Amino acid sequence: MATTALTPAATTYRTGLYEWLTTTDHKKIGILYLVNSFIFFGLGGLLALGVRAELAVPGLQFVDEQLYNQLFTMHASFMLFLFVIPILAGFANYVVPLQIGAPDMAFPRINALSFWMLPLAGIIMATGFLTGGGAAAAGWTSYSPLSQDAYSGTGMDLWIVAVVLIGTSSILGAINFLVTIFKMRAPGMTMFRLPILVWTALVTSVLVVLATPVLASALIMLFIDRNYGGHFFDPASGGNAVLWQNVFWFYSHPAVYIMILIGMGIVSEILPVFSRKPLFGYKAFVFATAGIGALGFSVWAHHMFTTGAVYLPFFSFMTFLIAIPTGVKMFNWIATLYRGQLTLSTPLLFALGFLSMFLLGGINGAFSAVVPVDFAIHDTYWVVAHIHYVLFGGSVFAVFAGVYYWFPKMTGRMLNETLGKIQFVVMFIGLNLTFFPQHQLGLSGMPRRIADYSSTAGWNDANLWSTIGSLLIAVSILPFFWNVFISLRGGSIAGDDPWEGNTLEWATSSPPPPYNFDRLPDIHSERPLFDARHRREAVPALTVGPDASGHAEISAALGRPHDSPDSGSLAKGMDRSHGQ
Amino acid sequence: MPNVRIRLPRTTLSVRALRRPVPPGQLQRRATPAILALPLVALVAASCMPQPVTPQGREIEHLYNIVFAIALAIFVFVEALIVYAVLRYRRRPSDTSLPVQTHGNNLLEIVWTVVPTVIVVVLFVLSWQTLNSIEKVSAQTDVRIRAVAQRYQWSFEYLSPDGQQVLFTQLAPEMSIPVGTTVHLSLRSPDVIHAFYVPRFLFKRDVVPGVENVFEFSVDEDDAGQSFRGQCAELCGEFHGAMVFTVKALTQADYQAWLQGQIDRASATPAPGGGPGQTTLLISALNIAFDKADLTAPAGQPFTIEFRNDDAGIPHNVEIKDAGGTSVFQGEIFNGTDTRLYAIPALGAGNYTFICTAHPNMTGTLAVQ
Repeated sequence: MATTALTPAATTYRTGLYEWLTTTDHKKIGILYLVNSFIFFGLGGLLALGVRAELAVPGLQFVDEQLYNQLFTMHASFMLFLFVIPILAGFANYVVPLQIGAPDMAFPRINALSFWMLPLAGIIMATGFLTGGGAAAAGWTSYSPLSQDAYSGTGMDLWIVAVVLIGTSSILGAINFLVTIFKMRAPGMTMFRLPILVWTALVTSVLVVLATPVLASALIMLFIDRNYGGHFFDPASGGNAVLWQNVFWFYSHPAVYIMILIGMGIVSEILPVFSRKPLFGYKAFVFATAGIGALGFSVWAHHMFTTGAVYLPFFSFMTFLIAIPTGVKMFNWIATLYRGQLTLSTPLLFALGFLSMFLLGGINGAFSAVVPVDFAIHDTYWVVAHIHYVLFGGSVFAVFAGVYYWFPKMTGRMLNETLGKIQFVVMFIGLNLTFFPQHQLGLSGMPRRIADYSSTAGWNDANLWSTIGSLLIAVSILPFFWNVFISLRGGSIAGDDPWEGNTLEWATSSPPPPYNFDRLPDIHSERPLFDARHRREAVPALTVGPDASGHAEISAALGRPHDSPDSGSLAKGMDRSHGQ
Repeated sequence: MPNVRIRLPRTTLSVRALRRPVPPGQLQRRATPAILALPLVALVAASCMPQPVTPQGREIEHLYNIVFAIALAIFVFVEALIVYAVLRYRRRPSDTSLPVQTHGNNLLEIVWTVVPTVIVVVLFVLSWQTLNSIEKVSAQTDVRIRAVAQRYQWSFEYLSPDGQQVLFTQLAPEMSIPVGTTVHLSLRSPDVIHAFYVPRFLFKRDVVPGVENVFEFSVDEDDAGQSFRGQCAELCGEFHGAMVFTVKALTQADYQAWLQGQIDRASATPAPGGGPGQTTLLISALNIAFDKADLTAPAGQPFTIEFRNDDAGIPHNVEIKDAGGTSVFQGEIFNGTDTRLYAIPALGAGNYTFICTAHPNMTGTLAVQ
């Protein structure tokens, strides 16, 4: 068989650190994305602790107002641009080529370029702290005129440059995903057999390609305003302040879906595996994902209801509409659990945490779609609670679910279950202790982004609880890092398929060889591995060896011609992908 | 050493009572409603809007309560589904064969698409109705005020009924309004975006440079004599959090008297900043301290403070508070080294304190005689 000739790995002519710095292997790049993102997750978390420490009690204790504004601006910028978006891209980078049976991404060098822009951008953004005026302090939304040169210093310019770089990285990555998904699927992997994670990566990439150039243009216009006397967003010279909000949110609302869709994909991979059932309503799920992507472009102005500059009923209606496909997904996830056989391993715990917390984040967000209610809660701590239930309860739980799920594939070793469960429980309590009281703060009128508050405003208790909760979240990260540290050295050996997975990444070794697959199973559904595993059980008379003749026998036993168009052999797959 | 006998309280009996075996079912029946009810009561108690003081606010509160009821029902229903699934469908050692491989159900998909659609359409219609009602601008009112939001202070210009003339400017961050009357408020910013937010109105509107946003409200008659806290809700820079103001609700008669008094005073005295014979007080700040601890100003007439900030790169200002701690004037905060002229409105006789808003421990006494 031609393919087995590939088994001896290509001779590695680079080793160690040099290999990691120069690699074009999507798996190594994916891991680099994860590591880089976790570094910024840690830094962003420390900034958040600074914010919460200052707010624990009234009065200024640790920082002054100027530094406080830098803390929350850089917290959000790190978490959104350098953690959530890249880490989801990192999972997609690692998993998508494996799940579609490809040997790598379509453009491996561009893939490496996309990654290496991120640490560079992060360093540029962080150096704002070293400049005279400090880091960017106009909020991650950088509303003009506050972000103009009259009101902010060099840190703001560095922030703009960094976000343009990150945007460029995203665009390059998205084009790479689109080409990879459209052109490099293994034979038999039709669009409606793509794993849901691949679908979410596909829709995310479309969003990135359509929305991120708008942000890049806006940032360049702001840069011109600040440095070369442009007046695009400066009302003092005939520009329009609200124009910035329109272009910014035209990107940043779709970006909210960029920050959650792949997370939904991760959860949609994990729930079926750990309940031993297929995803309920696969096609409904695909259409809901596409629907979220399409509607995501028509709701940006719901961030601007109080500006008095947008047509409220239209954006309110579209915002209500986008709740429907999200609701459809929620019910499909729950229906997947029903009558299943649930194994409560750590990946499933985090996925269940995602369901219950993302639900709350969706529901408290609906209040803002009701325009008159938004007039009351906009720019208060209610909104802070909402965004964190979506991005922490949603995206971050999905990220940890994904880490526990694919760590065995990436490293060949299992993470420790006990430590994982401790992390989940502490983090779940910490999350709710931090963010649930913020609903009450918002209702009673505490605006976001203030360093201090009056001790008579009635906000003392909720703020103190919230700070205690944030410490609990910080504590919950420690068993995770310890877990990764000890499991890398002495975790139990995972084997190819520790979870009885459904998708192709579990068909290869852990970690996979650089070219990913020696052989691929036949692909007849979105669960090729499930088919392979259970058709064997169903046809016990056939003992199948690791050679192609076994495939022929199974195909024959199942009444399909061996060389039908969708029962591709690996040789075809390899030829095809090498031809790209 | 005296013989001290410590008598332990007789707790044995109660402990024994507690230890008396309770049938497990009974214990559960006792505990469950309490365990379930407590968070629910806490949730509902914590989820109330502040008591609104305007008819517009009451409409928003009413709408919020409807949304909250629907949201709570959906939340409890869906979380219950999740919890039930987790408790009921755990994998057992006896589960050796696969569960039924259900791939989907079109009827269910239609149900859970249509039902949420109906809910959101209903919510949208309710929301639209309330929106039209609270956004109504009548243009039939005599009380026209323009709030000017400037880093980091609020001032209020009282306009003539046609809105063309400024009758007088209230420099203190305090907006007096008559109860039971529609107030037409326009919002102006000379610098960055701010937001006018009074939590008890359940309402906010951005103050956008380059455009003047307008809205109307009226405060209920019952609330005459009350003051409501207001605050900038859109990040506007370093001292965004200090940009607070008060809305003071006066009876019609009190308001008219107050308004006339202010207009008379404004026309009786020369425009602030100019005019011969006007008092100008000099003060400066260095090393996070004022150079003077005492200032004296004439009562009943406006005066000027010339404030020099000698702290390079450090923001200072002069804010004046009355004996009760209410801010009567808040000067612009600016970085040193620089100088500003503050036009202080006429103050009643008495002792005031002046502070730097950015550094509340910089303080001194202003005697108005």
